[in-house]
Amino acid sequence: MKRKMGVKGFLFILPALILIGIFSLWPVIQSFTYTFFDYRLNDQQKSGLYLSERFNTDLYNETAFYVGMFLEQEIPNITDPKDTSKLKQTIDQLRAISGQYEDQEGVITISDEQKEELLSFYKTASALINDFNDKYELANGENLPLLIDDINNSIIPSNFIGLDGYKKALSDDRVGLALKNTIVFTVVSVFFEFVIGLGLALILNKAIFGQGMIRATSLIPWAIPTAVAALMWGYLYDGSYGIVAKLFEYLGFIENATDLLQSPGWAMTATIIADVWKTTPYMALLLLAGLQNIPKGLYEAASIDGANKIQQFFRVTLPLLKPAILVALLFRTLDAFRVFDLIFVLTSGGPGGATETLSVYAYKLMFGQTNFGYGSVVVMLMFVCVAIIAIIFVRILGTNLMDKN
Amino acid sequence: MYKGNRSLKILTILLIVAFLFAMIFPFLWVFITSFKTTGEIYSPTGAFNIIPDNPTTKNYVSVLFEKGILNAVKNSFIVSSVTTIYIIFVATLCAYAISRFHFRGKNVLLGLILAVSMFPQMIVTGPVYNLFNELGLTNSFAIVLPYSVITLPTAVWILVTHFNQIPLAIEESAKMDGASPFQILYRIVFPLAAPGVFTTAIIVFIAAWNEFLLTITLNADQAYHTVPVAISFLRTQFEILWGEVTAATTIVTIPTLIIVLLFQKQIVSGLTSGGVKE
Repeated sequence: MKRKMGVKGFLFILPALILIGIFSLWPVIQSFTYTFFDYRLNDQQKSGLYLSERFNTDLYNETAFYVGMFLEQEIPNITDPKDTSKLKQTIDQLRAISGQYEDQEGVITISDEQKEELLSFYKTASALINDFNDKYELANGENLPLLIDDINNSIIPSNFIGLDGYKKALSDDRVGLALKNTIVFTVVSVFFEFVIGLGLALILNKAIFGQGMIRATSLIPWAIPTAVAALMWGYLYDGSYGIVAKLFEYLGFIENATDLLQSPGWAMTATIIADVWKTTPYMALLLLAGLQNIPKGLYEAASIDGANKIQQFFRVTLPLLKPAILVALLFRTLDAFRVFDLIFVLTSGGPGGATETLSVYAYKLMFGQTNFGYGSVVVMLMFVCVAIIAIIFVRILGTNLMDKN
Repeated sequence: MYKGNRSLKILTILLIVAFLFAMIFPFLWVFITSFKTTGEIYSPTGAFNIIPDNPTTKNYVSVLFEKGILNAVKNSFIVSSVTTIYIIFVATLCAYAISRFHFRGKNVLLGLILAVSMFPQMIVTGPVYNLFNELGLTNSFAIVLPYSVITLPTAVWILVTHFNQIPLAIEESAKMDGASPFQILYRIVFPLAAPGVFTTAIIVFIAAWNEFLLTITLNADQAYHTVPVAISFLRTQFEILWGEVTAATTIVTIPTLIIVLLFQKQIVSGLTSGGVKE
C-alpha cells in the first residue's frame, strides 16, 4: 500500500518545490505586480516599483557635492554684499540638509518634513541662481540651474498607475493586431498540423514497411532548435536566392519572389508553413500512440456488423481516439499561442507588424524598450488567454474521461 | 493491409514519399548550399543549382574558426548536460514521492506542475532577468537554474508515469529488510525505472538544447551564447552570408541527428507517455 508521508518524505519534494517557487511562482506574482506600475528600467525615476514617493540618495549626494562646490566658486563673482550673504546662507542650508544623507545609499523613504525641506531649498536655490544669472557674470551660470533641477529629480514620485496599464492595452491597436495575429497563427497552424498529422498517423498505423524510417525522419524537424529551423526557412524564403520563394513565384502564387516575406498575408502564410513543417511530426506521433491503443478486435467486430472503412473511422477510431486528440490539441494550441523563437528569428514580427504575436510584442516592449510595466501587461493578457484555453480543454477532457468510466 | 487494392496501396506509398521529401528537403537544400561558393549562392541561376559548380569547404572553415560556432556548441553541451543531470535528480525525488506517498496537497502539487508546463515562458523572463541582474548572475552558466521552468514539469510528468508501472511488492520486501525510502529509491526503483529515466533525460536534454528566450535575454554576452542564439545572431549580423548560415545550420544539426537516430524509441516513448493514458 502507499505510505503516508512523514517529514523525511517531504525532503523528496522540497528541491522541486524550491525550484518551482523561485523560478515559476515568484516570477508570475512579480510580473503581475509589474503591471500596476509605470516600470521602465532605463528611466531613473521609474526603474523601481514605488508605491509611495522615494528619495534617490545617490543622485542627491552627487548633485549636492557639485552644487556646493560650484556655489562656492561663485562667491568672488558676487559684488553686492547682500547677495553674498544670501549665497553663503544657501550654501550653509545645503550643507545642513546634505548632512542627513551623507551615509545613505540607494533609494530610501523620507518623511514629509524632509521632503518639504528639500523642495523649499530647491525653490530658493533656483530663484537665487536665476536672479544672479540676470545680475552677474557667473562661472557656472549654465550648469547650475540644471544641477539644482537634479535635487528636485532626486525625489522620485510614485509610479503606481493601478489599472491604467490595462486600460492602455485595451485601446492599443498594436495589442489588438498582435492578439489577432496570435489567434490566426494558432488556429490555422494547429488545424493543418492536426489534419496532416492525423492522416499521417492513420497511414503509419497501417503501414507494414518503413515505420522506423518515417519515425526517425519526422523526428528530426521536431528535435532541431526552433531558431535553427526558422533560419533555414529564412533562407528558403529569401526573395532573391530562396528556392521556395522562387517555386511560389513559378507556380504563380505570388507575383514576385520577394513578396513572400514582404507582403503581410504571405509573411503569415510563410511562418505558418514553417511551423506546420516543424510540428506536424510531433502531432502525428502523439496520435499514432493513441491509435495503437485501440484494440484491433473492435475493427473486426465492426466489419462483421457490416461497417465499411469510413463508418469504422467515424464510429470506432474517432471516438476512441478523442482523449489522445484532445491532449495533442491542447499541447499544440498552447505551444502555438506562445510562439516566439520562430517568428522572432524568421520575420521579427514584420512586415509592419503583420506577423507580430503577443509574445514578440511583449519581448520588444520589455527588452527592446525596457518598458517592463507595459510589457508585463501584454504578458498578463497572454497568460489569461492561455488559462482560458487550458480550462476549456481540461473541461472537455475531464467530461470525456468521466464518460469513459 | 488493403487486400488486393493496389491503387490505394500506391497512393499510400506516394503520400509517404511526398511527406518524407517535405521533411527532408529543407535540410538537403541547406546542406547543398553550404558547399557552394559565395559567387554561386548569389548568382540568379547558380542559387538554384542542385549540384554545386565548385564545391568548397570555405563556409565551414569560416563558421568554425572565425564565427565561434564551436564555442556555442560547447556552451550548449555544458548547459544541456548540467540541466539534464540536476533536473533528473530533482524530478526523480519529486516523481517518486508523487507515485508512492500519500500527502496533503498532492493534487495541488500536480496541478501546479501541470500549470507551470502550460504558462507562457515570457511571464517569468522579466522578473528572472531582474533577479539575475541584482545577483550578478547574468552572462553565466547559472542560466541552467531558470531552465527548470521548461524542463522540470515534463520530467516529473514522464517519471511519474514510469514509476507507477513498477510493482510495489519489491519495495515492500526491501522495506521489511529495513531499507530507508532513499535507499529504496536509489537501489531498487531507480535501476528498475532506468529506461524511463533515460527517456526523460533525453527529452530534457533536447528541451534545454533548443531553449532560446532565456539565453537571449539573460546571457547577452556572446561568450555564453548557446547554439540557437548564436545561430540567430549569424543572421542579424551577416544577413546575406547564406553560405555561412547554411554551414552553421548543418554543423549544429549533426548532434541532434545523432541523438534522434540513436534514441528514437526513447524519444517517442517520452513524448507519448506524458500525454496518452494507458
